[in-house]
This record gives sequence, C-alpha cells and structure tokens, in this order.
Amino acid sequence: MIAETPFTIAIPDSELELLQRKLQLTRFPDELEDVGWEYGVPLADVRRLVDYWKDGYDWQKAEAALNAELPQFTRNIEVDGQGTLSVHYVHKKSDVPGAIPLIFVHGWPGNFIEVRKILPMLTVPPKDTQAFHVVALSLPGYGFSEAPHRKGFGPIQMAEVGHKLMLALGYTQYVTQGGDWGSIITQIIAAMYGPKHVKAWHTNTVIPPHPIWNLGRYLRYMVTPLSQAERDGMERSLEFQKTGQGYFIEQATKPQTIGYSLTDSPAGLLAWIYEKLFTLTDSYPWTDDEILTWISIYWFSRAGPTSAGRLYYENRVSTKDLSRYSVRVHTGFSYFPQEVIRPPKTWSRYLGKIVQEVEHEKGGHFAAWEVPELLVDDLRKMFGKGGPAYGLVQVKA
Amino acid sequence: MTAETPFTIAIPDSELELLQRKLELTRLPDELEDAGWDYGVPLADVRRLVDHWKSNYDWRKAEAELNAELPQFTRDIEVDGHDTLNVHYVHKKSDASGAIPLLFVHGCKWPGSFIEVRKILPMLTSPPEDTQAFHVVAVGLPGYGFSEAPHKKGFGPAQMAEVGHKLMLSLGYDQYVTQGGDWGALITRIIAARYGPTHAKAWHTNVVFLRPPHPIWNFLRFLQYMVTPLSQAERRGMARSLEFQETGRGYYMEQSTKPQTIGYSLADSPAGLLAWVYEKLVTWTDSYPWTDDEVLTWVSIYWFSRAGPTSAGRLYYENRVSMEELVKYNVRVHTGFSYFPKELIRAPKAWSRDAGKIVQEVEHEKGGHFAAWEVPELLVGDLRKMFGKGGPAHGVVEAKI
Repeated sequence: MIAETPFTIAIPDSELELLQRKLQLTRFPDELEDVGWEYGVPLADVRRLVDYWKDGYDWQKAEAALNAELPQFTRNIEVDGQGTLSVHYVHKKSDVPGAIPLIFVHGWPGNFIEVRKILPMLTVPPKDTQAFHVVALSLPGYGFSEAPHRKGFGPIQMAEVGHKLMLALGYTQYVTQGGDWGSIITQIIAAMYGPKHVKAWHTNTVIPPHPIWNLGRYLRYMVTPLSQAERDGMERSLEFQKTGQGYFIEQATKPQTIGYSLTDSPAGLLAWIYEKLFTLTDSYPWTDDEILTWISIYWFSRAGPTSAGRLYYENRVSTKDLSRYSVRVHTGFSYFPQEVIRPPKTWSRYLGKIVQEVEHEKGGHFAAWEVPELLVDDLRKMFGKGGPAYGLVQVKA
Repeated sequence: MTAETPFTIAIPDSELELLQRKLELTRLPDELEDAGWDYGVPLADVRRLVDHWKSNYDWRKAEAELNAELPQFTRDIEVDGHDTLNVHYVHKKSDASGAIPLLFVHGCKWPGSFIEVRKILPMLTSPPEDTQAFHVVAVGLPGYGFSEAPHKKGFGPAQMAEVGHKLMLSLGYDQYVTQGGDWGALITRIIAARYGPTHAKAWHTNVVFLRPPHPIWNFLRFLQYMVTPLSQAERRGMARSLEFQETGRGYYMEQSTKPQTIGYSLADSPAGLLAWVYEKLVTWTDSYPWTDDEVLTWVSIYWFSRAGPTSAGRLYYENRVSMEELVKYNVRVHTGFSYFPKELIRAPKAWSRDAGKIVQEVEHEKGGHFAAWEVPELLVGDLRKMFGKGGPAHGVVEAKI
C-alpha cells in the first residue's frame, strides 16, 4: 500500500480578502451597440458574474464541496532536467473487482475539477460494468500543483509527470484519457510508455497532423467523401482558426505579457476563460456558481494563472517533433459535435491503433463536464467485457 | 472656418485615486528562471514601473506639460452611418510664410496616441529660416486619447479617414498633405486615395505596407522583383517582418478577433495594460532610451483615455472584417516613404513601384516604429526635403495669403 500525502484545499482568508477588494474596484470597459458575442464576451455577462463573485458567490462552500467529493493528495515528482515539483492530484480506487487504473489529464482552460462528475461513475459503476481506479492530476502550473521554474517544461515533461505519478502509486500498467492539452499529453504518455506500461489511450480531442506530409494518406483523404459530421466539424475548425485563436497565439508567444493581466484582474481572468467555457461547449447550461468555481481555481491556483499559459509557448518552441509520437497501443476516439477541432476520419487513422470510434450527437470541448455519461459510456464500452480493449491491464488480486 | 473649442486635459481626482488604489493591490505573477524577454515583458521591469507609477510618478506634472506644449481642441465630426463623434486634436498654425497644412495621423497608432506629435510639432511649425514650415493638425481618432469612441460596429480605417479629412476641411484647410505611421499609414493612404488630388495633395508614411507584384497580373513587375537583389537593409527588414509574424503578433490576433475579451483586462488592470503596451514600446523601437516617466505618461494616456483602453483595440477587428475593400485604394498623389531599420514591416523597394506616385524614398540607419518619437529630426528632415523648396512635392498645396 503506497503512502500518500493528503491534501485539502484551504485558501487563506487574506487571499479571499484581496480578491474581494479587487472585485470592488473593477473598472469595466464600454461596449458597442448590438455586438452580442462578436467582439468577445458581452459586457452584461461579465458585469453579472463580477457582481455575483463579489456579492453572493461562496468560495468556502465550493471549497468544502470539492474537498468532500474529491480525495486529493500531493506528491513530489522529479522531472529530467527540471528538478522536483510537488504535484497535486485526485486519486480514488475502486472496490469493484477487475477495476483498471486510468489517468485523466485536463487541458487549458481546464483543471482537475473536470473529473468531478465522472469520478463516481468510473469508480462505482452499476453491477457488471467495468470499473476504474482513477488518478486525475493538476498539471504543473495548474490548480494546486507547483509550477515549473525552468524554461522548456512542455508536453513531454507533462507526460513524464503523469507516468511517474502512476508508477509511484503502484500502477505499473494503466490506461490514459485526455482532452485538449490532455489529449496531446496522454498521446505522448501512450507513445513513450506503451505498450509496457500504458496499455491503451482514449481521447475526445482528436488532433492529427495534416495528411499533406504523407502522400498516401493525403490521396485517401482526397477521395473519401466526408460525412455531414466531418463537414460540420471542419467548418468549425476553420472558424476557430479564423476568429478563435487569439488567446492561443498570445499564450504561445508572450505568455508572461498576458500573464500580468490574468494575475492582476479578476474580471480580466474571468473574461479570458469564460469566453472558452461558453463558446466551446454545446449549449451547456452553465450556472454562475459553476463558472466562478472553475475560474476561482485559476485565480487561487498555487502558482497563479500565468504559469498555465506557458504550456502553449513551450509546445511551440519544443524541438521534438510531436508527430513522431505515434501510439502503438489500443486507441479509442470519441467525437463530440461542438469540439473545437474536428478532422476527417481519414486524417486520424494513423494516430494510433484505433479500436473504437464513437460519434455523438451532443457535447463539446469539455465532454467530461458537459456529457459525463456519454464519455463514461465510451470508456466502459472500450474497456469492459466484450470491448475491444478488455483485459489489457493485468489486474492485481 | 468655425471657431475652435479649446481642450485641457484635466483628469478628475477620483480617477487618480482609483488608479492609486488599484496599483496598491497589484498582484504580480511568477517568472521562469533566465526568461529575459523570451516569454514577454520581464517581471523586474513591470515591478519597477508599477512601483514608480504608485509612488513617484507625477501625472499632474505630466498633464500640465502636455497642456502647455500641445494646443488642444475638440470638435464634433459627423461620420456617415455613425452619428456625430467628439474628436480631440492638437492644432498649431505656423507663422512662417509658405507654411502648408499637414494632417499627422499617429494619434490612432496603437499603442501610440496624440502625444507622438510632441517632439516634431515645434520643428514643423517653427523651423529655421528658409526651411519649409507646416500648420500641424494631429488628430486623436475616435476611441483613442481624449476623442469619443465609436458606438456602432463597423468604424474601420475608412471611417477614420473620413474623420481626418472632415477635420481638415472644418479648420479651413481645403488642401493639405498627410503623414501617417502604424494605423495612420493605412488611414492616410485611404485619405490620399479618396480625397486626393482635390484636397489631399500628397502622402508621406514611415510604415510601408505593400503587396508583392502578382506573378500573373503584374508579370513584368514580378520579374523585376525576382531579379533585383535585396539590399542589406531590405534583408534585415524582411527578417524582422518574419520575426514579427512568428513571435510578435499575439496582441494583433487577439485584438482583431476578440477585442472585448482582452479589453476587460486592459480596462481593469493598470499592470496588465502597462505590460501589454510596454512590450511594444521596447520591442518596436531602436534601442530608444525610454525613461520610466515617458513610459508611464504614454500608458497613463491610455489608462485615462476618454473611452478607456478597450476601444482602441477594436480598430484591429474592424480592419479585419473590412479587409476585402481596402485593396482598391490606389493613391494618385505625390507619395514619400521613409524606411526606418526597426520598423515592424519591411517590404523590398521593388514592391513599391506601383503603390503610388513615389517621389521620395529615404533609407535611415536609425529609428523604429515610433519614428516621430525616437528620431523626430530624421522624420522632420524627410518632410522638409519632400515639401520644401526644390523638393519633389514643393508647391502641391496652393499657398493662401
């Protein structure tokens, strides 16, 4: 039995007071007439959320609920060339026989809270349904994990952290699930540490390289007619490229510069993140409490909100060609209609050994939050008895 | 010409107090070891500037100096489809004979403002004897400085051009010349194309936006470009353009797609606004020795601007959504280009052959994007050379007695 160091979220009063004082001094911009969401987050939304954050929203209640629902811990993980970092994670073992270890990796602007809804479903499923031991870490620089101190902490280093954490918890064989940066990171984990340790990879954000670099693939792409879902998806991908990637390019080039704003202005941080919570989901009925808890985790994060954006920069300058990290283990894809990137299926054939592909009618970028039952269902289907990735992990008695 | 309404910058005490309180609550981020300028503005710089802004910087002194040096006014200008907007501007007539009216459009330059006319104003209006003089109008375009901001969608470079032109006419300058940089380059180009040669008699710019000659529609030019070797200056300039493309355009992408989203940060966080602007003041200039006071006065103008800092960024959005129309602006009046080595964009001279009636091109060894601030004497020198006696654009404006 591995010794773990329990962690409880306990934001000091001084931090809550500072936030309150800043919220009270919020200075709002003007807005053009009839703009809706065209120029960014509408003023009415930000005003409403800032007012509620200041008067009404109860962080300590949210904090207590998180602590009650999510068993959290910290562990020091050493990363090659980067020293040792304290990593915050959620860990829940299942009592069900045949449960397999799964690491769940979030992205940006995600965080560990995204495991909240799927955790009980995965660890305590109905009878005769596949169960999982779940580990959901806060990536270094996010949530309550320590942030990297040196340059060069990119997706490969993140993958190393995830893998070492699983080994440290006694999971020498495990499977991975991730979306957004979590998709890239779990892909790297599967590529680097499979098939010996990582037995399978599942993702809901499919990001293949453009087929143009491989003539055979490109030709196949050109002659295969696109489904309606693929066509809609490509249109959405193009729209994202045209109007939705300002944040991406700023964070990939000057994360420190935008970081001063995000660290100093609650309203600024709120708008920056809420824009994505709203535009990347499938009409998900966010409550103000949900939004503010999500963003408060960023505001109160151990290293502050700036460190999270550096992952974009490190990815850009990384000299490693990530397209060479091909996955040789069983791979499962879930396609959600409002996901921000949606490549045609012919592009993603080569990302891994695809054993399951599920097309959904509902859900967006934050699948585990929006449609947890659909995501969990795909995992149970893939790893459960009769599923294409059943029995890959040698289950300990 | 109708009477002018004088304007004095007078930021209310309540605004200064709010800024002070916010500065005191500044929460700064961490920083990676040895980051330098790689990831953006260094923490030490922001810390130092925030501390100075909070403890020693004297806005009232800066405000008084601006009011003393720059004669300012406001005027209501009606813009097609956009109501009437109250426009702030600097205006100084020259006593020298033969002075010609010059519209200086940098007041909309981001992150510049009307302040950029400060150094060149005395040089242009009170030159040495027997040197070309100018009546100078530096317009603060809508959404910048102390001009009212647009209220409706679609206020792009063409609307800005309309404001500049109508302002000149309302001041009795039926014929005038223009000088522009940053957004002002595009705006003065539109002014020259739409209102010249009747009113806009010549155009000078220090930011030369050009397209390469089309390989089919402009085959001969294209061939000429292909066979002309690039000069050292052109090569360095193009490398700089590439660098801008690769690592310097995050602000551009965000402001041209989601100006409101970034706007919440810029309106609410002095440190955030400071970093956003200061990054460009340093990286876009040619080792210009900014003093902390200079930087803070520059940033304070944004912080205290009439509509707040958010409105300025919308011009990027409006430009993006109107892009398809702008290519048809052909300039038929005398045009002058000044090339400064640290400008952001550098096109080979071979691309400029069809940009207009180019009568003067000057290559400089020093200076960057904020030429009027960094090397005012060089910019003024080029204007005097172009418009003075013996110059290629001398006499384009029929002098009034």
